[in-house]
Amino acid sequence: MIITTRRTALIAGASLLAAPGLVRAQEGPIRLGTLTPLTGAGGPYGPVMANGVRAVVNEVNAAGGVRGRQVQLVSEDDQTNPEAGVRAARKLIDVDRVATIMGTWASAVTTAVAPLCWESRTFLATVSGADSITALPHNGWLIRTQPNTTLQGRKFGEYVVELGARKAVFMAPQTPFTQSQVTNMKPPIEAAGGSIDLLIYDATKPSLRTEVDQVLRARPDIIVLGGYTPDTTVLLRDIFRAGFRGKLLAYAYSVNQQMISSLPNDVTEGIHTLAPSPAEGTSAFDRVKRIAGTDNPDPYTCQIYDQINLVLMAMAVGNDATGQGIRDNIRKVSQGGGDRVDNAVDGLRAIAAGRKVDYDGASGPCDFTDAGDITDCKFRYEQVRGGRQVLIRIA
Amino acid sequence: MIEALLQALINGVIAGTILAVPALGFTAIFAVLNYPNFAIGALATVGAYAGWAGNTALGLPMVAALALAFAATAVAGLAVQWVAVKPLESAGALMMAIASLAAGLVLENALRFTFGNDLRGYDLPLLRDWRFGEFRVGPQQVQNFALALAAMALLWAFLRYSRTGRAMRAVADNRDLALLRGVDPVRVAAVTVAVGAGLAGMGGMLIGLDTSVDPLVGNRLILSIFAAAVLGGLGSIPGAVAGAIAIGVAEELAVLAFNPAYRLVVGFVVILAVLTLRPAGLFGARAS
Repeated sequence: MIITTRRTALIAGASLLAAPGLVRAQEGPIRLGTLTPLTGAGGPYGPVMANGVRAVVNEVNAAGGVRGRQVQLVSEDDQTNPEAGVRAARKLIDVDRVATIMGTWASAVTTAVAPLCWESRTFLATVSGADSITALPHNGWLIRTQPNTTLQGRKFGEYVVELGARKAVFMAPQTPFTQSQVTNMKPPIEAAGGSIDLLIYDATKPSLRTEVDQVLRARPDIIVLGGYTPDTTVLLRDIFRAGFRGKLLAYAYSVNQQMISSLPNDVTEGIHTLAPSPAEGTSAFDRVKRIAGTDNPDPYTCQIYDQINLVLMAMAVGNDATGQGIRDNIRKVSQGGGDRVDNAVDGLRAIAAGRKVDYDGASGPCDFTDAGDITDCKFRYEQVRGGRQVLIRIA
Repeated sequence: MIEALLQALINGVIAGTILAVPALGFTAIFAVLNYPNFAIGALATVGAYAGWAGNTALGLPMVAALALAFAATAVAGLAVQWVAVKPLESAGALMMAIASLAAGLVLENALRFTFGNDLRGYDLPLLRDWRFGEFRVGPQQVQNFALALAAMALLWAFLRYSRTGRAMRAVADNRDLALLRGVDPVRVAAVTVAVGAGLAGMGGMLIGLDTSVDPLVGNRLILSIFAAAVLGGLGSIPGAVAGAIAIGVAEELAVLAFNPAYRLVVGFVVILAVLTLRPAGLFGARAS
């Protein structure tokens, strides 16, 4: 009898130890992570993004959680720096044991963090644009809500032609998307008989006068600015001082309202900007407006709002709150028809009732290719006039 | 090509002169206290914010804002010295350097916590450059150049003619002899840190004037400052000025020769070359 008891206890103990992490992970609260740039060049976006996710998590917890389990959110700072991003990702994966990491912003950070995620079976949802990211051997462990640079580069190239420019220079720091951006801008510009050159600069330099001189010697009629906000500010001042009178085109994430307010109007007047457009006018976009407390939420907050909603619903539909569960089920809630939902609370309710859902988000329809890219996205064309960004069109 | 070279030379001399101001602060602290104060980058950021606040919130003109930047950074520098560095004095120069590095991180993040990550611009009109044929020079550049020269002239006069300045030089030349002559080491150390940090703050503000102010203003300079001081000879005042101008010119000329993305290499190559070929630097005798 004693032997049996001892044996039973041993078996019970051994099986407890041998039980796969999966079983233990299926108990207690669900842990999810955000890894956004709270500091560094992405600092204006990261805090708002993390707050957006927290708001969704709070709503879902108040409505009873995911299949009865509460959701715990851990937010870390990648400092817009790959090395800091890797350290923070390690903490999220090894210490907090999150099922997913959401919101990596700079392409260099995402590129560094992605292998850690797929090796540890942690799902990664990013807002980075570099083509190379979805070309990584991630095997389905990664999606992105931002259009890739193939699409963005082509749009920039077409817009350069539309603005009547023929001789373009792309000035950018070294990033994972710099080369593919230029490569994809080239075909439409060259088809119109124009040309484009590239100048890579050091983003930490306090003055870029010599670089601007070098660019102006080629007498371009448009300069395309490919940097982040701090270095683009330096660049714009030096371009203005040099007396350049041609056109300027930039990413809207660098020439944003905050930067426009910090520079004299003369310097920013007339700059054209282009950005993937959130799905304005949709109910999901209205929800993000309310959460972010602004009528004009940035694209990244819209995207991470979509990511958290998709993640929560994917876990519910597969009844599996691990990274594997998200990876295997996310496309079952993002596309393929079903009840149209714009938030996780409604989606979770529909899933509990046994219905299929198809999420339409604040950043767009959120349908993904096998590689993890979105299939469709609109762009927002704006121009700075009198110290404000004026919408030209969304197309 | 000659025009490009000359233009880069002009830009380099101006950038180097402004870099010389914080490099002087760094080297002065090294000369008297015998440790490299790596909080200098964060102190430059403190100065940039102090000057910006003085200019935009209090409406101070440039020279007054520069004086405020000097004063605020002097106080911050003394705080770093007394709270973080001094308690580790007995542990040696390396520990003091590490303590200053840590204190710099604290300062930088305190600024980030207070002011956020937003870029701040001075309340100044941005003017187009003056053109002289193929060359151009910015009015702001010229003003900053003049302010940097004035700050250096004041420092020179202070070291040359004031009793405290002479005491500082005496401690830097021969500490034991100076103490025997009755120089108060605590007072000299405090004045050196205040002046050194103040100069870093002025440098930070001058760079902020030309660019914009954010919590990483000083951080971006630290390698160039260190390279300038090493090149000139750690602890040598004229060496810091010459080193800074040489680094400024080299960084600008490098843009013409290499891909600008490799600019950072310039600083490292200079440090490596000096430490290998002439560890004392151009003007220094102390390191050898």
